[in-house]
Amino acid sequence: MTDTHVSRVRMTGISKRYGALQSLDNVSLDLKPGEVLGLVGDNGAGKSTISKVLSGAVIPDAGTIEIDGKHVAFTSPADARAARIEMVYQDLALCDTIDVAGNLFLGREPKRRVAGVPMLDKKLMHERARDMLSNLGIVIPDTRMKVENLSGGQRQSIAIGRAASFNPSVLIMDEPTAALAVAEVEAVLELIRTVSQRGVSVILITHRLQDLFLVCDRIQVMYEGRNVAERRIEDTNIEDVVNLIVGRKFAARSAGHNREKGASA
Amino acid sequence: MSSEPNAYASHPPRMREATILDKVVANGGVMSIALFFIVCCLFFSVTTDAFLTAPNLLNVIRQSAPLLIVAAAMTFVITTGGIDLSVGSVLALTATLSAAALQAGVPWPLAILLMLLLGGVIGVIQGYFIAYERIPAFIVTLAGLSVIRGFALLITGGYSIPIEPTSPFVALGRAWILGIPAPALIAIVILAVAYIAFNETHFGRYVTGVGANAEATRRAGVNTRSVILWVYVLSGTAAAAAGVILSARLGSGSSNAGQGFELDVIAAVVLGGTSLFGGRGSLTGTILGALTVAVLANGLILSHLSPFFTPIVTGFIILVAIWLNFRLFRGGAKGR
Repeated sequence: MTDTHVSRVRMTGISKRYGALQSLDNVSLDLKPGEVLGLVGDNGAGKSTISKVLSGAVIPDAGTIEIDGKHVAFTSPADARAARIEMVYQDLALCDTIDVAGNLFLGREPKRRVAGVPMLDKKLMHERARDMLSNLGIVIPDTRMKVENLSGGQRQSIAIGRAASFNPSVLIMDEPTAALAVAEVEAVLELIRTVSQRGVSVILITHRLQDLFLVCDRIQVMYEGRNVAERRIEDTNIEDVVNLIVGRKFAARSAGHNREKGASA
Repeated sequence: MSSEPNAYASHPPRMREATILDKVVANGGVMSIALFFIVCCLFFSVTTDAFLTAPNLLNVIRQSAPLLIVAAAMTFVITTGGIDLSVGSVLALTATLSAAALQAGVPWPLAILLMLLLGGVIGVIQGYFIAYERIPAFIVTLAGLSVIRGFALLITGGYSIPIEPTSPFVALGRAWILGIPAPALIAIVILAVAYIAFNETHFGRYVTGVGANAEATRRAGVNTRSVILWVYVLSGTAAAAAGVILSARLGSGSSNAGQGFELDVIAAVVLGGTSLFGGRGSLTGTILGALTVAVLANGLILSHLSPFFTPIVTGFIILVAIWLNFRLFRGGAKGR
């Protein structure tokens, strides 16, 4: 799937500054249909910010985004969602006091009309929520439970289920496995494989490097708001990726900095 | 290494579907105020002869109609995590202006419409500063409380403006339709609409969403700012309706009407289990909260006790009801 020539996503020269902090500095990102890209880097490297730019939650100061070859400018998450870009946020973005089905459908609740007045179709919502969850192999006993009463792993599953169930063309996952039990991690990785085989492009942000080698086609490393390296998964190993993330090589051989960057670009 | 087959043997699932008891605990706020309401009603039924009579109960609803109407709108405001302190002032302004408009010869239906519109416009202005300029609701509506009351005083010079008792306008506050007082009827209709809007519509869902996790709701593609603006339009319009009903019932518009009204409204909403932190609201609770406050005031008077006991008892009940939420129904009040 990855040898297609038109990129699903092409971000070029993205920059974003928060006050004194240059959060993103001329970052580029390329994603092909059905490709799974691992985005790694230390805390504050800009992984979350670049993914929020793609999902419309952060508006960049500079740079261009192309989706399937067409130039786009997102001004809100709704724009990105219209372009079928879905994101699972690190902080889950769930409403604690709303039930499971309500969270799955937040912002796109099915309507029914009672005497011409649009209302929530709660019955349909709960039915479809049950189907969505069981298709993804997520076990929640009752879709009427409030999310605040669920475990961390269950909450994560709801967040992923929400993003994956609406036929996305790009799925961005920010630390999807961080709070999960061992079996749940396996289920999520399996889910990533399944959706990418259906042609969905996936961006996976994670600190669990072993996960990258199980699902990713390619790894992009960020360091202090810049792209520093890119590796095909078969050309690299955990040790290499760790070195790239902590930037030890760059610090030790500052003279070779440009050469290394050039070689990896 | 020995395996431990027993440890992995199947066992009953640890999660179960919600039982009735779970639901009772989850709705702790409503349950504790329902308890208070029933206790109050029983107490006054036993201690006084006049309390449990149809005319008295209808009178309670008639008098508490403004409170019920504004409390319903305030439930939306507080569920978004906001507050509207200006409702008492809006009530006073619309009460005086409707009297003034009638005196100036404005036809009564137009006067009512203008007052509701005025309440809505005040809501738009306050909502704009809260939703789009991100100024805390407390500050915006505190300023509104002062400014709007000031306008009411300025217009009337501090006097109350009489309304012609023959005007059909006063029917709004005094008429009886099918054996039910008109204000009570209006309140019941508004409460029913509010209940449906809160629980069954997209707007109500987004009001809860904004209060629970505004950022998540925004990311889900909801225009959270417009949701916030609209709840203040609702509370402004509801306060205007309350002002119209009050002036119609009293037959005059006084700029001193509704002093401290906003606190009664907030008390009723909070008594009903709606969280001041947002995300958790109940219209059933609000209705029970408002009625409890009204029944207390009525019952204490019927018991020939000083009416000045009302604020004392109300205050204690607020504290105890919220305390019950935290202790007895801990599940429902989790993290709050």
